[in-house]
Amino acid sequence: MENTVIFADNISYSYPVEEGKSPVLALDGVTIKINRGEFVAVLGHNGSGKSTFAKHLNAILLPSGGTVYIDNMDTRDESLLLAIRSRCGMVFQNPDNQIVATVVEEDVAFAPENMGVPPEEIRRRVDRCLDIVGMSQYKKHAPHLLSGGQKQRVAIAGVLAMEPSILVMDEPTAMLDPSGRREVMSTILELNKQRDMTVVLITHHMDEAAMAQRVIVMHEGEVALEGTPREVFSQVERIRGLSLLPPQTVDILFRLNKRGYSLPLDGMTVEECADTLEEFLKGRGSEASSGQSPSAQERPQKNQRFCGENILKVDNISHIYSAGTPFEKRAIDGVGLTVGKGEFVGLIGHTGSGKSTLVQHFNGLLSPTSGHVYVDGVDINSSPQEARKARFKVGLVFQYPEYQLFEETIYRDIAFGPKNMGLDEDEIDRRVKRAASQVGLEESLLEASPFDLSGGQKRRAALAGVFAMEPELLVLDEPMAGLDPVGREEIISCIESYRRETGSSVLFVTHSMEDAARISDRLIVLSGGKVLTEGAPEEVFSRSGELLENGLDIPMVTRLFIELNRRGIALPPSVYTTEQAVEEIIKLREGGHA
Amino acid sequence: MLKNITLGQFFPGDSIIHRLDPRTKILAVIMFVVALFMSSSFWGYLICFAFLAWCFRTAHIPFKMILRSLKPLVIILIFTGLLNMLYTPGDTLVRFWIFNITKQGVKNAGFMMCRIILLISSTSMLTYTTSPIALTDGIERLLSPLKKVRVPVHEFAMMMTIALRFIPTLIEETDKIMSAQKARGADFESGSLIQRAKALVPLLVPLFVSAFRRADELATAMECRLYHGGEGRTRLNTLKMTGLDSGALVFTVALCALVIKAGWIAGLLI
Repeated sequence: MENTVIFADNISYSYPVEEGKSPVLALDGVTIKINRGEFVAVLGHNGSGKSTFAKHLNAILLPSGGTVYIDNMDTRDESLLLAIRSRCGMVFQNPDNQIVATVVEEDVAFAPENMGVPPEEIRRRVDRCLDIVGMSQYKKHAPHLLSGGQKQRVAIAGVLAMEPSILVMDEPTAMLDPSGRREVMSTILELNKQRDMTVVLITHHMDEAAMAQRVIVMHEGEVALEGTPREVFSQVERIRGLSLLPPQTVDILFRLNKRGYSLPLDGMTVEECADTLEEFLKGRGSEASSGQSPSAQERPQKNQRFCGENILKVDNISHIYSAGTPFEKRAIDGVGLTVGKGEFVGLIGHTGSGKSTLVQHFNGLLSPTSGHVYVDGVDINSSPQEARKARFKVGLVFQYPEYQLFEETIYRDIAFGPKNMGLDEDEIDRRVKRAASQVGLEESLLEASPFDLSGGQKRRAALAGVFAMEPELLVLDEPMAGLDPVGREEIISCIESYRRETGSSVLFVTHSMEDAARISDRLIVLSGGKVLTEGAPEEVFSRSGELLENGLDIPMVTRLFIELNRRGIALPPSVYTTEQAVEEIIKLREGGHA
Repeated sequence: MLKNITLGQFFPGDSIIHRLDPRTKILAVIMFVVALFMSSSFWGYLICFAFLAWCFRTAHIPFKMILRSLKPLVIILIFTGLLNMLYTPGDTLVRFWIFNITKQGVKNAGFMMCRIILLISSTSMLTYTTSPIALTDGIERLLSPLKKVRVPVHEFAMMMTIALRFIPTLIEETDKIMSAQKARGADFESGSLIQRAKALVPLLVPLFVSAFRRADELATAMECRLYHGGEGRTRLNTLKMTGLDSGALVFTVALCALVIKAGWIAGLLI
């Protein structure tokens, strides 16, 4: 077939294992055909074999059974290796680890240099590729000073410079914030639509997959589902069974159907779903419900105000990096906030909003240039002793905490914090075991090396290391970054079980509005080093326009309701969960008929 | 934040010196240094100082940068000066306790200190006006004849480029791991030397693990971009010697000859 550019014919693969262990098939009889110019998304939870499949497409891995043909070239033919790799460009998850040179344009030139392209032609390609990804004005910049989204676009340009006809992307947005994701996704779409590039996108973001022409869901090394996004996502229960989550818009329609309505599951995008719902809600009296306060009764425990004591009080702090040098940068600027005892607060902000700098003030790792931080009523910067006490009262979990594991066994790693607190052996033992059970690590795993765990387990072991210190305030910086939907749920339940068992307060930093809204009592939105807005989730989301202006994402459900409002359907625009949305829609529909 | 460190000491600019081919600059510095050590008259050093001062002015490098680059060397400067002054035999100038300061000693000390200062500032001149990449490129090209005797010149240059690329990334990472371990109560600042060395384990293990992971991923990414060693590789920015470079080289040769023979010429004139 002339039109098929990728043909994986019944391929199997197992990673080499240590002697004595039985090999596990990472791919088990996978057959996939991809046509020229197609945009295919490959979904699957961690360990489903999707990355292994991607690595077969340019002969980084060779199938142990079956054959992969790229443009009719067998990937096992070594003489075709360079031809295959230049035809099929590959972009990986971590942009930092793909950039070779110290100047952007030199990096983009790397592949054509390796191909032996003449200098004038390299110059032409570099300029063209940087222009495609919109990074021309940065060509003389040092890559380490760029944002994540920019770095990833440079990495894409570096691959485009080979002039490939296929682009394979292995979770290119997993480590990016919402605005970085948007940048990269629009680049991918443009390449596919305007330049007829065949795109294979490995992802676990459903909204990204919904933009593709075809979706392939992998599970346990096999192709579990295949079809257009509409076909695949309408099988809501099957998708859940494969440890994935359908897009929220489809989920709303699905839940409505479960409540006895019959709606087509057409809701790949907000607009599409709005069309379907508009149709559904037609005919009801439009003034029936003005929809003021959304289902406050639904979650009464969440909306109660905390009048009790504060565990943390931040009083008008500012932090300036490298003060007095040309690099001077005001990272946070007059921030004031409080966290009540037992409260669960979500802190939201995009990259560069100062949130990571801010949280390091809570336990005295950084001291403010001006202003005060009080933990349990004590100014932690008043003396070194107080600062050290604050370290143990406020437990801080950094981004990608699994990168800080270092001990020989998980037990010893979890015990590191308690040991530094000077606790006795019995107490340490009690705490380690309790923390391990809070994060769902079995005791049999405690003697294993942290480096033998899976990605999700490592993350949980690292959380346990902070839980074991039993801080009164747990601060987590992007605890779910880079995990698949199942991994994300696991982390949330770990945090909730810690909170339930110890009654501690939690402050949770994220750029995912959906997660923040779902589990927090109160949201604080940070932008440009200042508090932009704060309040209960519905209060914050009722100011969605403001959030969007500041480069933040709002939940898909909220976007849907805003769209419906725009079309003259009176639904409260501050709804943020699918459950609430379904209730509101039913209320409106039934209210209209009554 | 450690992120803002400048790599090497490069001062971007567009002066004549910046525009010279890195090979020219490397060769010129080597000749200059040789001339420094062969010269044995104050006139020679005077010419050198004058020339370097002109270079710094032309390249718009602030004067305090030279002082900063000399700062770590103050102790060595004083030490060499004293040693030369005290242990050179010759005509006694001053004598106290067991020391004997000679005329030759003072002269030698002066020479040595001039040499060190000039050595450091001339090599700094090279790094101030040449980007790390250009420098690596220049070294690679200059050493390329060694490829014939199987010295892996390209591989060394590649390693250097990658090292330069990853230094800021790893510094940032060190910073992050350090904060994270501090948040778990690690103490890097107090205790005895042994305790402090032990305290580094929670920092170094994750740092090495991460460096290996990065190396692995980078290697794969490089393979995906068709890297297969230096063979048949072309460059985006090829180095080109221009008339300016030939001029600069001829000028440096003449200058060096002048420096070496300065004493003799001065003798003729005066």
